[in-house]
Amino acid sequence: METPQQLAEVLTSLRVGNQSFLVQFYEQNRTLFARWARRQHQLEPVSAHELLRTVLVEFYDQVADGRLTKVPDNVRAYVYGLADEQVRAARTTAQLPALEDGRRQRLLALFRTMGLDCQKMLMYFYFRGYHFEKMAGKMGFANANVARMQKSSCLRKLYELRLRAATAA
Amino acid sequence: MPLSAPDLRPYLEELERFADGQLSAAEQEAFEARLETDPALYQAYQQYEQLTADLRWVAGHETLYQRLLALDRRLDQRQEALSRVRRRQRQQQSRWGVGVAAAVLALLGLWLLWRPTAPSAATTWKRYYQPEAALPDSVVRETQRPLLAEAMRHYREGEFPPALQALRRIPTSAIGQDTLTYYNGIFLLSQNEPEQIQAAQPFLRRVATQPGSPLAGRARYHLGMAYWRNQQTTAARNTLRAVSNDPRNPYQEAARRVLRSRVLKD
Repeated sequence: METPQQLAEVLTSLRVGNQSFLVQFYEQNRTLFARWARRQHQLEPVSAHELLRTVLVEFYDQVADGRLTKVPDNVRAYVYGLADEQVRAARTTAQLPALEDGRRQRLLALFRTMGLDCQKMLMYFYFRGYHFEKMAGKMGFANANVARMQKSSCLRKLYELRLRAATAA
Repeated sequence: MPLSAPDLRPYLEELERFADGQLSAAEQEAFEARLETDPALYQAYQQYEQLTADLRWVAGHETLYQRLLALDRRLDQRQEALSRVRRRQRQQQSRWGVGVAAAVLALLGLWLLWRPTAPSAATTWKRYYQPEAALPDSVVRETQRPLLAEAMRHYREGEFPPALQALRRIPTSAIGQDTLTYYNGIFLLSQNEPEQIQAAQPFLRRVATQPGSPLAGRARYHLGMAYWRNQQTTAARNTLRAVSNDPRNPYQEAARRVLRSRVLKD
C-alpha cells in the first residue's frame, strides 16, 4: 500500500508519461484480479486479463485527460470498481451503438488500422518523445532524415484516413 | 472533425517541420510572420495542433495498451513454464515414489524369504538330546536273551515300536526290573511322539527314584529331557540341574549344555 505522498508521485509520473506504475500493478494483480472476476462476473482468465488491461488504460486516460486529479487512496479498490462498471456497462449497453463517439476514440480506431511500423513510429515520436536520430536507431533506418520522412508519411496517412472517415460520415 | 475544416494536406509538411523544430531561424521567422497574416494557414495550424494533441493521447493510450498486452503474453509464458516445471517435478516424484515402493516391497519379499526363523522344537531336540546307547552284545548275550538282543537290534536301527514289542516280551526273570523299566522309558521317549513321550515319563521316573539302581542317574537325565519335550519347563530345569550337579552321571555335560542354552526359558 502506497503512502499519500507516493500516490501523488504516481499521478505526476503518469502525467509525464511514465506508465511503470500501471505496468507493475498489472503484473502484481493479474492473477488476483482474474480470481475476483471469475467469482464476481464469471469471466474466464483470458477475458479477465483483457478487462484489467482495459481498465488500467482507462485509468491512465483519466489521469492524462485531467479527469482524475487525485489518485484514489485505495488504487486496487478503484480499479476493481472501474472493472465492475465496465462489465455492467457492457451488459446493459451491448445493443447500443459503439461508445466511440469522441474525436479521440475515432482517431484511436483509425490509428489501429495503420501498419505496425507507422503505429510504432508515431508512438515513439508523439508519446515517448524520441528524437529522429533515436527513432532511426530503433526502427533500423539509415539516418535521422529517413526517420523524419517516414514519420511524416505516417502522419499524412493518418490524416488522410481521418479525412476519408469524416467524408464517409 | 467538421466537414467545413480546411484540408491540411497542402500545409502539412510545412506545419510539421515548424512543429518539429526543423526550420532554420530565418524560415521560422518567415513562417511565424505568415501565421499572423494568412488566416488559412493559421486555421490549418490550429487544426494541426489539435490533430497532434489527439495523436499524443492516442499514442499514450496505445503504448500502455500494447505494453500491457506484451506483459500479459510474458506472464502467460512464465506461468506455462512454471506449470511445466511443476508437472515435471510431480512426475519425477511419482516415479521416485513407485521406485521406493518397489524397493520396499522387494526388501519385504526378501525378508519374508530369508527371515531368521526360530529353531523348531524338533531341531533343538536333535541338537541337545543325547540318546541312550543300546546295550552292547557282550552284555546282551544273545544266546541266553534273544528277545533282548532283538530289542536292542531294532533300537539301534531306529525301529522303536518293534524294539518296544520285543522288550515287553522279555520275561522278568531274564533281566533286572529296573533295566526293563528303564529301556521301556527310553524306547517310548525315542519314538518322539507327544503321547509316547508322556507315556515314557512314569517309567523313567520310577527308575530315577530308585536310589540303589545304577541306572537312576541316567534315567533322571532322560526324564528331564522328557519334561522339556513336553514343555514342563520347571520340572525339566530342576531335574536337569540335579543331573548337572552329579559328577558321576554320564550325562552331566549334556545336561549342562541344555541348561546353558536358552531352550529352557519360560
